[in-house]
Amino acid sequence: MTPALEIVGLTKTFGEKVAADHVDLTVPPGSFYGLVGQNGAGKTTTLSMATGLLRPDGGSARIFGADVWSDPSHALAMVGVLPDGLAMPERLTGREVLTYLGLLRGLAKDVVAARAQELLSVLELDRAEKTLVIEYSTGMRKKIGLAAALLHAPRLLVLDEPFEAVDPVSAATIKTILRGFVAGGGSIVLSSHVMALVEQLCDHVAVIDQGRVAAAGPLEQVRGDRSLEDTFVGLVGASDTGSRGLSWLSR
Amino acid sequence: MAVALTVPRTMAAMKLAVLRNSMSGQKAGSIVMGGALGLVLAGGTLYAAFQTGDLLAAAYAVWMLGWIFGPVFAGGGDETLRPEYFTSLGLPPRRLAAGLLVSAFVGVAPVISLLALSGLVVFGVRQGPAAVLVALPAMLLQLAVFVLLSRVAVAVMGLALRSRAGAVGAGLVNGAILAALGQGWVFAVALGQTGGIPAGASAAVRYLPSGWGLAAVEAAGTGAWGRAGLTLGALAVLVALLLAAWAALLARRAGSVKASARGRRPMTAATATGAVVAKELRTWSRDLVRTHQLTFAVAYGVFFAAAPLVLGWTAMLPWAGPIFIIMAAAMSANLYGVDGTALWLTLLSPGAADVRGRQLAWLLVVGPVAAALALGLTSVTGGPWPMVLALTAALLGGAAGIVPLISVYALVPGIDPHRRGNNPLRSSEDDGAMTGLAYAVLVLVALTGAPAAVAAALYGWAGVAVGVVTGGLCLWGFGLLAQRRLHAQGPELLHTMRTGKRPPAKPGSWAKFDDLPKREQIITALCWSVGAIPLFPQGIVAGFLKANGTEDRSWFLALHMPEGLQWPVIVFMVLLGLGVYGLGLWIPYRRRTP
Repeated sequence: MTPALEIVGLTKTFGEKVAADHVDLTVPPGSFYGLVGQNGAGKTTTLSMATGLLRPDGGSARIFGADVWSDPSHALAMVGVLPDGLAMPERLTGREVLTYLGLLRGLAKDVVAARAQELLSVLELDRAEKTLVIEYSTGMRKKIGLAAALLHAPRLLVLDEPFEAVDPVSAATIKTILRGFVAGGGSIVLSSHVMALVEQLCDHVAVIDQGRVAAAGPLEQVRGDRSLEDTFVGLVGASDTGSRGLSWLSR
Repeated sequence: MAVALTVPRTMAAMKLAVLRNSMSGQKAGSIVMGGALGLVLAGGTLYAAFQTGDLLAAAYAVWMLGWIFGPVFAGGGDETLRPEYFTSLGLPPRRLAAGLLVSAFVGVAPVISLLALSGLVVFGVRQGPAAVLVALPAMLLQLAVFVLLSRVAVAVMGLALRSRAGAVGAGLVNGAILAALGQGWVFAVALGQTGGIPAGASAAVRYLPSGWGLAAVEAAGTGAWGRAGLTLGALAVLVALLLAAWAALLARRAGSVKASARGRRPMTAATATGAVVAKELRTWSRDLVRTHQLTFAVAYGVFFAAAPLVLGWTAMLPWAGPIFIIMAAAMSANLYGVDGTALWLTLLSPGAADVRGRQLAWLLVVGPVAAALALGLTSVTGGPWPMVLALTAALLGGAAGIVPLISVYALVPGIDPHRRGNNPLRSSEDDGAMTGLAYAVLVLVALTGAPAAVAAALYGWAGVAVGVVTGGLCLWGFGLLAQRRLHAQGPELLHTMRTGKRPPAKPGSWAKFDDLPKREQIITALCWSVGAIPLFPQGIVAGFLKANGTEDRSWFLALHMPEGLQWPVIVFMVLLGLGVYGLGLWIPYRRRTP
C-alpha cells in the first residue's frame, strides 16, 4: 500500500546548526501519527519540508506517491496543512478566509460556501461572524487554521502543534474532528510535546531528537510497557536537572 | 534617588546590549548604511554652521522634520525597548517615559544628530565665548526635543490609526506638510523677496522648535542675556511638556489596534484570481495603516500640484494624478512583506495566480482615484491633455508591474500583522531597508513613465498610445517575472519572512552588503554616499557651467582655480567620483561567494 506520507533522508542545515539530519519516516495510510520531541528538535523543520514550505538540502517527501518538490500540484492537493504560528489573511473574517482559500484551491463557489458553513458551525466559529482573524484568540486561530486545512477534503492532514495554547473545550472539539477524520479513512501527522495527548490520540509515534529519528513505529512497540513520557526521557537522555530545586524558593 | 536613577540606567544598558547584539546580524547592514548617510548629512549641517544662521536654522528644521516623519513612514521608529516589556514592573508612567527617554538617546541616530547639533557650538565659537557657553546646553536640549518629538509623533499616529477618521485625517495632514516642504520654493517666492532667504522665512525657521537653540546662541552672541536665558528656558519647558505628553500617550497605548468594523459584504468572487482580488480589496479598506498611506498619497499629490496656485500658476495642477500614482506605489513597495508569513497559503496552492490578483486589486484601488485626479484637474486647467493621459496610463501600468516585482526580488521581511503589538506603524524590524525600498520604487516607477512622457512632449497625442502600450507591457511583463520568482523562490521567501533574515548568497554572486566585514561595509556605504559629490556638482555641473561661461563660482572648486587649472580639476573630479563609485562596486565584487 502506498504510504500516506513517505519521508526519505530529509536534511536541512541552518548555518552551523543541523535542524534535520537524514530524517526517514513512513506514515501508513489510515494512521494517526504523532511526532514528539523537545523544542528545537526539528519537528517543525521536518513537517515544513514535507509540505512544500521549506526547501530541503537533501532527501525527498512523497504524499501518496506524489513527490512534494517535483510534482507539487498533485502532492499538495492531497494534503491539508496547519502550520504553527504563521499568519493568515488577517483582515478577513473566518468565512471570508475559507471562501478565499477554497477558490484559491480551485473549488466551485457553491461547494466552498456549503463547506465553509459546515466547518464554521462544527468548529463553533459562526458566532464570531463579523470578527476579523487578526482579532481572534489563539484557540480560534488554531480552529480557523484547521478549517482551512480540511476545506479541500484532503486525504492527509499535517498539523504542527494543533493543541498549543488551545482551551480544553476547543481542544475537545478538535479531537472529535480529528478522530472522525481518521475513522473516515484519512491519515494524520501531528507534532506535539505533550506526551499524554499523543498517547491518547495516536496509534503511531516517532521520537525526534536533535534532528534525528530516535525511535519510530506503532505506539505500543515504541513505548513497550512503560509510559511514553518515560520512554521519551530515556531516549533523549535528559540530565537530572529536573529534580534540582531552586534554592531561593525553599523556606 | 538611587531608585529613580536605576530605571533609566538599566534601560540604557539594555538598549546598548540589544544594539551590540544586532550589530553582528544582518540588520547591521542597514545601520551602517544609514549611519554613513547620516554622517554625510551631519557634515553638510556643520558646513552650514560656518555659513549663515539662516542656513543653519533651515538645516535644523529639516533634521526635526526627519525625526518626526521618518518613523511615520519607515516602520514606526526605534522600538528596541518597548513599553510593553516593562508593564509587569508597575512603573508610574512618568518614570517609565523618563527611562525610555534615556534609552532613546542610546543609538546611532541620536549620536549623528548630536554631531549635527554641534553646529551650534561651531556657530557659538564664531560669536564669542558667551555664545559657546549657551550653545552647550542648547545642543543637548535641542537633541532632547528632536527625540521626544519623534516619540510623541509615533504615539499620536498610533492613536490616530485606531479609527478611520483618524487615519484619513493624519494622512491629509502628513501629505500637506510633506508636499509643502517639497514645494518650499513656492512659498519663499510668494513671501516676496528675491535673492537670499526672505526675512519672513528667516524668522519662521527660528520660531520652529528646531530653531530655538540657535536663537539662544545668537542672543548670547549679541549680549542679550535675558533673551538667551528665556529661549533656553523655553526649550527646557518644551522638553518637560513633551515628556509629560509622551508619558500620557504611553499610558493609553495599551490594547492593540481595532480593525475597522464596517459592514461586511459577502465575497462574490468565483475564481482563484477573483478571490485574491477580493482579499486584497478587503485588506485595503480594513487596514487603517493602508488607509493612512493611501490618503497620504492623495493629499501629497494634490497639495504638491496645487502649491504653485499660491503664485497664481496653474500649470502644475494636472500633475496631481501622476504624482499620486508614484507616491501610492512607493507606499505599497513591500507588498508581500507586509502580509508576513501568510505567504504559506500561496505556496500551498501553486496553480493560483496570486501576482495577477494583487496587480488587479492595486489598479482597482489606485486607478479610479488617479483617473479622477488626472481628468478633473486637467479639465480645470484645460490641458496639457496628451502629457497627463500618457503619463497616467504609463505610470499606472508601470507601478502595478514594479510593485509586486520589487517586493518579491527585494523582499524586506515584515512583522506578522497579529504580532505588531501596540505600534501599528511597526511593519518591519528593518526600517532602513523599508525606506530604501520605497525610494527605489519611487525612482523605478517614475522611469516607467519616461518613454510616454518623451513621446507626448515630442508628438503630442501619439504619447498616449505609447503610454498605454508601455503601461500594458510593464503590467504584463513585470507581473510575469514576479510570478515566476514567486514560484521558483517561494519557500525561500517564506523562510525569510519566518526568520526575519535574508538567505545567504548563492555561489558566484556578489557578496551582499550585509555579509561584508564591518570595516568594508562602512567604506562601501561611504563610497555610495559621497561619490555623487565629486562626480555631479564638482565635476559634471562645474564643467557645464564653465562651458557656458557662467560667472557664479558658488562652491564649485574648479571655478575658483586659476584659468589653466580649471579643466584639469573638473576632469579630476569626474574621475574621482567614478573612482569612488568603482571602489564601492569593487569591494562587494572582490568578496563574491566562491
